[in-house]
Amino acid sequence: MLTVSNLFKTFNPGTVNEVCALRGVSFDLPEGAFLVILGGNGSGKSTLLNAVAGSFWLDEGEIQLAGKNVTRWPEHRRARLIGRVFQNPFTGTAPSMSIAENLALAARRGQTRKLGWALPRRFMDELRDRVRQLKMGLEDRLGNAIGSLSGGQRQALTLLMATWLKPALLLLDEHTAALDPKSADMVLRVTEDVITRHRLTTLMVTHSMQQAANLGDQIIIMHKGTVAYRFAGADKQRLGVDDLLARFEELRRREMLDETVADLLRENYI
Amino acid sequence: MTLFLGALTIGLILSLLALGIYISYRVFDVADITVDGSITFGAAICAVLIVKGTHPLLATLAAFVGGLAAGAVTGILQARFKLNPLLSGILVMTSLYSVNLHVMGKSNVPLLSGESFTTWAERLGRAWFGQPEVNLLGWLVSARDLVTVLVTLGMVVVVCLALYWFFRTELGTAMRAAGDNPQMIRALGVNVERYRILGLALSNGLVALSGALLAQYQGFADAQMGIGMVVWGLASVIIGESLLSSRSLGLAIYGAVAGSVLFRLLVAIALRWGLNPNDLKLVTALFVLAALVLPQWLQRRPRPGLSVPHR
Repeated sequence: MLTVSNLFKTFNPGTVNEVCALRGVSFDLPEGAFLVILGGNGSGKSTLLNAVAGSFWLDEGEIQLAGKNVTRWPEHRRARLIGRVFQNPFTGTAPSMSIAENLALAARRGQTRKLGWALPRRFMDELRDRVRQLKMGLEDRLGNAIGSLSGGQRQALTLLMATWLKPALLLLDEHTAALDPKSADMVLRVTEDVITRHRLTTLMVTHSMQQAANLGDQIIIMHKGTVAYRFAGADKQRLGVDDLLARFEELRRREMLDETVADLLRENYI
Repeated sequence: MTLFLGALTIGLILSLLALGIYISYRVFDVADITVDGSITFGAAICAVLIVKGTHPLLATLAAFVGGLAAGAVTGILQARFKLNPLLSGILVMTSLYSVNLHVMGKSNVPLLSGESFTTWAERLGRAWFGQPEVNLLGWLVSARDLVTVLVTLGMVVVVCLALYWFFRTELGTAMRAAGDNPQMIRALGVNVERYRILGLALSNGLVALSGALLAQYQGFADAQMGIGMVVWGLASVIIGESLLSSRSLGLAIYGAVAGSVLFRLLVAIALRWGLNPNDLKLVTALFVLAALVLPQWLQRRPRPGLSVPHR
């Protein structure tokens, strides 16, 4: 479904702020798979997600999605295939517009928008049903401005928006990181529910070991713009929080040595 | 009373300008100074065509199209070439000054003999009332002035309804979202740049429409008539918002119109009381400044027990 090959991206090349964010990242994801991307700050995990979403042009590499080469597609064109939930709950919704209008915008994701009424009655009925399934009592407040809702409520609605039309790929960018623990649990419950119900191919970025251990059927650990570890299948299911912590400790120790020495040691002794 | 009707008519005509500013200032959050040029552009196109004998309705529509084009240029500078929004507006406004002089061929085009919506209203008035003066709630007013107000009101209502309808369509809601949260709507597959161009075109189209009607009403187009119009429109939008604190779409459109009319009436009263017309633009600018600064100022005072409100 998704094939990412040999991605390279350097931000601000040739300046003091030069950052090599991606250094040869490759993986592929079959249809219906749920990949968790774990990594520390600056490991390139969010950059990788943005690269797939099309927020910037790559220096090198290729991205194939649903059988199409989308490498040169701008972000809004890729949106036909991709549903996305952002880290900041404010990013995913238009605050001054109503809940219904926000969802109506999502119901036409990637399609041409014409001069038809944005909120026809048939849509409103479906909307009420699908919002009711969130069990948050929002179905009676569809006319309210979405900016008046809490972060957790907005994030749950953004998730509904991203998946209103089944996306070929769902991108979740630390979408519970900015929420209080209770809201985060609620949004996570809705996430698991919607992913399993629609069998969505999913890419989730997180820095929570707990989430990484519990969710998904594959995991990659990013480090300095590369894929440091990858686990899938039974290996992934066996992986616990302690194992993940051990990997991070190993990465940290490796970083304390000179990179070339580390490579040398690893090749000869590990 | 004549003064009142005159102020009402101009207020209604300029409410189309206010609606244009509402789109650029409130939907896209830019103070678009293209307006100063495009209102004159609309007036110039309309006046020249009418003098050449074109039907006033066609001339007015041509002005609207001219405004669309001017706004689209500003939009392209902002969206495609990533120019600062204010600079884009300044560039287009400045170039429009020359364009307008070329369109008109001189700095002032009078409409003395031509047909216009006001002559049409005059004839309509004669047909309706059969006499030059009408008794309106105890005042004797000219039938022509009265019908002109009503005709203008009719046109403004039509534009408002069209705009309200447009902003409730799929295309219109996406345009509002492109102003409200570009990142979000891009992730939903909307080419934000294209919508910005479309929005600014629509905004300046309305402004040019307002200029066309203004030229017909006052009987001339003038190269200088656009100066300070963006501030005028901002004042109208801001008054409208303070009149109706609600953020709902219908009320916002109504507010822009009401704000424009009210502001024009206030100006008429101030001039009647002896305000020097030369001070008018200064007073308008100070008014907008006060309306923008006072809320910040009041908010800055610490209020115990209340956190700073944010989105």
